[in-house]
Amino acid sequence: MYTFYVNGHMVTTSKKQSLLRFLRDEMHFTSVKDGCSQGACGACTVLIDGETCKACVPQTDRLEGRHIITVEGLSDWEKAVYTYAYGEAGAVQCGFCIPGMVMCTKGLLDRNLNPTEDEIKYALRNNYCRCTGYVKIIAAVRLAAEIMRSGVIPAKGADDWKIGSRVHRLDVEEKVLGYGKYPDDFYMEGMCYGSALRSSYPRARVLSIDTSAAKALPGVVAVLTADDIPGENKIGHLKHDQYTLIPVGGLTHYLGDAIALVAAEDRETVEKAKKLIKVAYEVLPAVHNIEEAAAPDAPLVFDEETSNVQAYKHVSRGNAQEAIRNAKHVISHHFETPWTEHAFLEPECAVAYMDDEGDVMIISTDQSAYCTLHECSLLLGTDKVKCENGLVGGGFGGKEDMTVQHHAALIAYVTGRPVKVSLTRAESLLIHPKRHHFVMDFTMGCDENGKIMGVKAKVASDTGAFASLGGPVLERACTHAAGPYAYENFEIEGTAYYTNNPPAGAFRGFGVTQTCFATETLLNMMADEIGITPWEIRYRNAIRPGGVLPNGQIVDESTGLVETLEAVKEDYDAAVAAGKPVGIGCAMKNAGVGVGIPDWGRVKLIVEDDEKLHIYSGASCIGQGLGTVLVQMIVSNTDLKRDDIVYERSNTWIAPDSGTTSGSRQTLVTGEACRRACEKLMAAREGGKTLADLRGQEFYGDYLAKTDPLGADVPNPVSHVAYGYATQICILDPKTGKVEKMVAAHDVGRAVNPLSCEGQIEGGVVMSMGYALREQYPIDGNCKPIEKYGSLGLFRAHEIPEIKAIVIDKPGLNVACGAIGIGEITSIPTAPAITDAYYRYDGRRRYSLPIDGTPYERKGR
Amino acid sequence: MAIKKKFPYRSAFVACNGGCHVNGENGCEYGCIGCGVCAEACKFDAIHINDTGVAEVDEEKCIACGKCTRECPKQIIRIHNCANYITVRCSNKDKGKDARQACSVSCIGCGICEKTCTASAVHVIDNCAVIDEDYCLSCGMCAVKCPRHVITDLRGILE
Repeated sequence: MYTFYVNGHMVTTSKKQSLLRFLRDEMHFTSVKDGCSQGACGACTVLIDGETCKACVPQTDRLEGRHIITVEGLSDWEKAVYTYAYGEAGAVQCGFCIPGMVMCTKGLLDRNLNPTEDEIKYALRNNYCRCTGYVKIIAAVRLAAEIMRSGVIPAKGADDWKIGSRVHRLDVEEKVLGYGKYPDDFYMEGMCYGSALRSSYPRARVLSIDTSAAKALPGVVAVLTADDIPGENKIGHLKHDQYTLIPVGGLTHYLGDAIALVAAEDRETVEKAKKLIKVAYEVLPAVHNIEEAAAPDAPLVFDEETSNVQAYKHVSRGNAQEAIRNAKHVISHHFETPWTEHAFLEPECAVAYMDDEGDVMIISTDQSAYCTLHECSLLLGTDKVKCENGLVGGGFGGKEDMTVQHHAALIAYVTGRPVKVSLTRAESLLIHPKRHHFVMDFTMGCDENGKIMGVKAKVASDTGAFASLGGPVLERACTHAAGPYAYENFEIEGTAYYTNNPPAGAFRGFGVTQTCFATETLLNMMADEIGITPWEIRYRNAIRPGGVLPNGQIVDESTGLVETLEAVKEDYDAAVAAGKPVGIGCAMKNAGVGVGIPDWGRVKLIVEDDEKLHIYSGASCIGQGLGTVLVQMIVSNTDLKRDDIVYERSNTWIAPDSGTTSGSRQTLVTGEACRRACEKLMAAREGGKTLADLRGQEFYGDYLAKTDPLGADVPNPVSHVAYGYATQICILDPKTGKVEKMVAAHDVGRAVNPLSCEGQIEGGVVMSMGYALREQYPIDGNCKPIEKYGSLGLFRAHEIPEIKAIVIDKPGLNVACGAIGIGEITSIPTAPAITDAYYRYDGRRRYSLPIDGTPYERKGR
Repeated sequence: MAIKKKFPYRSAFVACNGGCHVNGENGCEYGCIGCGVCAEACKFDAIHINDTGVAEVDEEKCIACGKCTRECPKQIIRIHNCANYITVRCSNKDKGKDARQACSVSCIGCGICEKTCTASAVHVIDNCAVIDEDYCLSCGMCAVKCPRHVITDLRGILE
């Protein structure tokens, strides 16, 4: 027996396991998050004898007599201080890293109530956050120290909950104190564990599957193969080409393809049983990259296809060829961008069970409960499926596809048992779709004044083992490759190829992070050739209200690119005058999926028995703060107060479908639906009716973001209802060659919560500093990703520069009270800005990411 | 603390566990010989020969001036970042079998740490584990897995 103390109570256990498993599975202290179980992420950080320690590291047999503290064991005063400080600073987004960050904060403040900025950063530096860029977490620690010193918790900086107010997000407390539930935090009576046996080869034919030994193992509940699927084996976000389980005779497409599903009473038995399954393969040559996929005699990734081309897009307006021929200055170059891993802190997890109505109920962490519903219904061949989001520990596009939800649903449906299916971090790195690797050839022509005459490009992407959102990502990469500039001649041709690599799909920026790097870099080169500053060439070409984008769309009064350029001018000029290397990049990004696809936002407001207004919308909050946005919408459009309103997590049986959290669309699209529901509510309240009088009533609002399809036969098609615009600059320290400061000015329309907006900007900038400077996702000759979570190159707290987030609050559109999405654009102009800064620093142009020859480059690679 | 140190704090570190002294075998040609040159050289009283007969640094007192690192005849003292408390306390560059014979707590270059490390921060170089402090996440997984207890947590939390 091993005896130690948890939150002051003596505990004994005879089982040798990691402290993390003990705290979660036996004590149910679920504030201790399992983000990797490899010692990398820090989400499981606890204090052991006052020192921070990742709970996944020590085993219970080595803890004799130790005193362990988790967030649950904080004093009421500490809980109040940290909740306030993290809320006031805006430090909480998805929240998955937060309990670990809180324990780091306590570890620091318990011995030093006057920490310097560097000491704070060092206290946090072994813990990753992927949402915030650390800026506001550092601010929260600073604030917590101040409060601890003064002994008084001040009033909140903002509490009116109107649009434009920097209120604390509504989910701060549950995330800081760790009682909010992500799917992995659900422990149900009789719950078993499920996991998939993955393919041993990226491309092989499955000849036979023998599950008899696994089935005979005591503790195994079920071993399922493709034959056990009642409905369609092949599912998918859009195109149904993702196999739930590879059948005998079928082809594997990558190392993440599931062959069999094991459900057992505990995790150890699941792993043992997986090893007992015998699979015979005929190993076939794999397709490793775009070049191999495009070869005339290439092996086919899919039996069902006649080539490896997953999608082809051609976008053309005006005559780019001729415009470039007539241009005074022409520059062409080849560009490449890498695979990128989302590295959200919460690995994929789903819990499924049969509910009282005989429906399969799925608790999921994903970007749309309705997508999960549709795909699982297809798989099970029944409509008797429900889905509800737990808290979602970050998505960034990587949680749009089925990874565990369908497997959990299948096990629950076949066995009738509650089941939890979660991915290990290694599986997560392999399985969910990544950011596409792109190869690009761009040509730009300009006149003598730097006015863009035309751009012509050809791009190709590696979309890996199944389509996911490969087609739409390619399309957005193509449509936005033109940049936020006013010119008429643009042509681009793009092809996405299937390979046997891990799949690629949505990732914050959705293809635009790739093509923007090429366009913006060419523009920087062009500025030098013409002899004007990179700022000036953008100012001359910038799209202005009433102007026509290269896609033909006439932009409206809300268009704020010029304002973002003007906002960075002072910092830009000052840095140039000080002799510091400065780089600049601009971007535009759609809000809403656009291009003619029906894009509905739907919200139902219900006055329930508690006489409060409950918000139901099938729109996932993946950490961006949608619930807070909707509450601020309601407070601004009704006479209700914050305390009258309850935000409910997205589900599929009360909440109406409001589309995927994708394309920076929820604030605008679901926000407008919410505003419309508010109108109905207010109409019903005429004559002074109170919420109590309306008990049981529902107020439904919907909004269709109507757009024209790509290639629509109209002179000026509306591709997207709204665009966000941004300018970012990167200033280097000329002595160290490190990034000294990033300035990011974003036109967000009306900022619903400027605090959250800044958090999005800072997080997006730091994420793309990784993309520009360091992050890689190398894949070996067996199509296997090489890196672990801790070696992806994600930025750490002590490595971030000063980040100045400028929110340009320029209301324009007459929807969602003038708000435009901010989620993706924050990550788009960063890489070209940084790349240009390094050119100003050492005179070397770089055309592929991550850039080399910087202090951030990993040694020995 | 004698002199206010500049953050991030750095300190000397002796890469030897002193296992051979404990065993009385004295068979390691790489480790600390307990000569005390470092202790004599230190103006800050920050390095001493400990109970096992090898030099040990008091990080509270050390200002990372580097004098001991230069004076050490075995060249096994280096300056490290105090925030990186997971350290390899061995300098033995012999192959596994010889290293095992030389000392009870020697690095045998088995590579378990390298396989375990999520950050690719530890590598076996010349038969001895080396942690790159720029990349180490100080989780201590390597310390927990190290079969020879060579990798240690200077805070004494992980064993």
